[in-house]
Amino acid sequence: MSDTPHASNGRSALLRVLRERPALQFVLLGAILLVFAVLPHLGLMRFSTMSIFAYTGIYTVVALGMNILLGFSGLISLGTAGFIGAGALGMGVFLQMGLPFELAALAVLVISGSLGALIGLFSLKVESIYLAIATLFIGEILRQIYTSVPIFGGEFISIGPVKLFGFLELNQILQQQRSVLYAIIILVLVAAMVLMHNLVKSRTGRALMAMSRSEHAAQAMGVSLLKYRLTAFITATVYATSGGILYALYFQNAPTRAWTLNISLLIIAMVVVGGFKSIIGTFLGAIIIYGLPNLLLKDLLGDISYVFSGALIIVVILFYPRGFVFVWQDIKRLFVTAKKRTGTEAPR
Amino acid sequence: MADILRILFNSLQTGSTYALAALGIALIWKTSRTTNFAQGSIGTLNAYVAGILLLSWGWSIWLVALASLVTAFLTGILIDTFIIRPAAKVGAISKQIITLGLIMVIVGLIPLLFGVDPYRLPSFIPGASVDIAGATLRYNTVFVIAVSLGLMGFLFWFIQNTRWGLAIRVTAASETTAKLMGVPTRTVTMISWASAAMMGTLAALIVAPQASVNPNMLLDVQVSAFFAGVLGGFTTFAGPVIGSFIIAFARNSAAFYLSDIWGNVIVYSLILVFLYFKPYGLCGKKAVKKV
Amino acid sequence: MSDRHPILELVDVSMTFGGLKAVDHLDFTMHEGEIVGLIGPNGAGKTTIFNCVTQFYKEYEGTIRFGGEDGPVDLKSVPVTGVVQQGIARTFQNLELVGDLSIIDNVLIGGHTHFTTGIVSHLFRTPKARQEEREMRERAVEVLDFLGIAHLQDLYAAGQPYGILKKIEIARTLMARPRLIILDEPAAGLNDQETDELDALIYQIRERFETSILLIEHDMGLVMNICDRVCAINFGKFLAMDTPAKIQRNPLVQEAYLGKDDEE
Repeated sequence: MSDTPHASNGRSALLRVLRERPALQFVLLGAILLVFAVLPHLGLMRFSTMSIFAYTGIYTVVALGMNILLGFSGLISLGTAGFIGAGALGMGVFLQMGLPFELAALAVLVISGSLGALIGLFSLKVESIYLAIATLFIGEILRQIYTSVPIFGGEFISIGPVKLFGFLELNQILQQQRSVLYAIIILVLVAAMVLMHNLVKSRTGRALMAMSRSEHAAQAMGVSLLKYRLTAFITATVYATSGGILYALYFQNAPTRAWTLNISLLIIAMVVVGGFKSIIGTFLGAIIIYGLPNLLLKDLLGDISYVFSGALIIVVILFYPRGFVFVWQDIKRLFVTAKKRTGTEAPR
Repeated sequence: MADILRILFNSLQTGSTYALAALGIALIWKTSRTTNFAQGSIGTLNAYVAGILLLSWGWSIWLVALASLVTAFLTGILIDTFIIRPAAKVGAISKQIITLGLIMVIVGLIPLLFGVDPYRLPSFIPGASVDIAGATLRYNTVFVIAVSLGLMGFLFWFIQNTRWGLAIRVTAASETTAKLMGVPTRTVTMISWASAAMMGTLAALIVAPQASVNPNMLLDVQVSAFFAGVLGGFTTFAGPVIGSFIIAFARNSAAFYLSDIWGNVIVYSLILVFLYFKPYGLCGKKAVKKV
Repeated sequence: MSDRHPILELVDVSMTFGGLKAVDHLDFTMHEGEIVGLIGPNGAGKTTIFNCVTQFYKEYEGTIRFGGEDGPVDLKSVPVTGVVQQGIARTFQNLELVGDLSIIDNVLIGGHTHFTTGIVSHLFRTPKARQEEREMRERAVEVLDFLGIAHLQDLYAAGQPYGILKKIEIARTLMARPRLIILDEPAAGLNDQETDELDALIYQIRERFETSILLIEHDMGLVMNICDRVCAINFGKFLAMDTPAKIQRNPLVQEAYLGKDDEE
């Protein structure tokens, strides 16, 4: 059945299990990332590195939502940064008002999700070029709101230690507690991945793809464009806002000027480079676009990350339209000799 | 009265910059089937060229402007040849994303090539102005408006009355048909990108004296240009121009009479609402799709 | 034949596109269990009629009635996404398949309206959602098996040969358990052997799935072989509707296809 070369029985069994149960891939990734929570305490990793991974995790969550829009539903949004900001600054405002963390998070998600739903409704009426511009504008208007409206404190909102479940107080200044915060991000990341996987492998995922690839066939088969556009936008918005909430949780400080178009573009880059419709690919994209430049290249090349990301987008679209994550498939194909039937097998 | 005149003069100038940018976007949209989000960035890049030439060699504004238009021309051709043409077979969304990537490359390159400090560019006609009914009208403003309108007029004339203009219109209607009829579509797209780049650069040069040359100088113009195109409809060339002046006037009026900070937000929100009810803009037409 | 229920009725249907009358006062009735062919020269308005029936065009004049399970329904009152729930499924001339989904996933889209679980159940992969997905998959495999392509179910639809793509489209319609299937040029692009297969297949579909079938076709051989009745149109106007043999001999039909005989 499997046509990968057997190195050893154990390893091929593991690969087979991973391929057949993708959810385990995410758990495995999460487990590896969780180890990073501990390494700095053992002196094997810098705390700043752990923070870079935290930020990468946050970016991945946001980019997963973007992938639902871009990869599965063929829709583009240039306002993502505004929604991340909504999450972070919204938490800042509500926490300052004294709301418990969970309630604040819920409030933020509901408000954000509603705005996302509005955009979804709007998207039904206008052609895609106008949608991109409209989302660009919404992102810009949000940015202006964050920097001009006094409730957001001008430069940033200081959040301070957060209290989870009513009793668990976590202060990011204390290194041990920072590790716990990091671990929470990873857990949320894994959950986000698993949920997204469930969604896209179901009738909902198929409907999203039908809606974007062949609208007429979708309608003829009873797929409601309204329902699924709303689904796509609300999901993407919730993911982006969750990223913002995680930001507030970990950094305990929400800046007002950070949520720019440039960030929205980076998110798109992560989806494009990592892989449309690939969940693991999205994480890969976040590593390539954000993680690597901050971990390694910064010392070598200064702040070349933006040029690097932009160039990467162009190169990937021209030569690897499905994203880097599928490079692996092509490499594998170089080693496989016999083919049982023509055609490419779709992943489970 | 003085206020209205002042808003009018201002709007004519800013409207011209929006119109230049919007026309560039419309031209590329029609010939390359791409939404060029990088329009503003390309203009900005070449404005930096002007800035650095001015700073390093002390050339006059006219000379550096000319030089930057030349580099804009070349930039447009390079981008079309090496990035847009190879992407011809890629989907519409992917093409948009490529131009987004282009923004990132340009915005990232600017500090590497030109440093982080903004550059100063003077007006074309410095200083002098005339007083009309209490409102100051600078000669530079008149010049800028005249040049922009003249350029747009030339563009319209060119597209309607010359062979190359015909080639552009045919390619815009259908590239396959154009190729079948022997129209050199490759050259058409190259010219389109080169022209769009030059128009964007001109817009930047006009904006520069007030805003100084910085990576985000055209972001505002860019967004407005898109809204102008949206308002006027991208299916015609006249639409974006009309839309540009309407928006410029509306913005300046709103900023003056309603609120300085939120003026543009109000105008843009109104446009979005308008768009919801008229998705094809003022002048655009709906294409009937056959199943 | 004529005392069977009418399943599709077009009453004085007209459709104009900016001055051009694509469908001109067309009357047409089809009965349950029939296989009916719609023929006419290119541009005669056949696909437009399909699009009106399936409510992609809603601006037609006249009435289109469908004999649903609970009695006749005026299709104009049904939104385009509700047509399949009424019991009409269609294929497309341009093969609107999702290239980056597997073949079985493409077929499953046909079953979209038969799912009862909602988005939240899918999100959390509840036992009920899992079971329903399993059952629908089994059904999809049955349909694919009927068409002889079940062994290809996990391959991407993109890149498959044309004949297979056409089968996937048909499988997708069958998945919707329709009472009326509308086939838009099912034999287009098929070679002789594949057309013969299609011939037999259409009979089998009627047999096994108990559907009525309406098809547009240019391949006269196929139409004459399998259709119970044939409706000929030209310039959107009704010419004749009769058994294949009689249609072939109909002078109006001959004139439309072959042109007027110029003998003095």
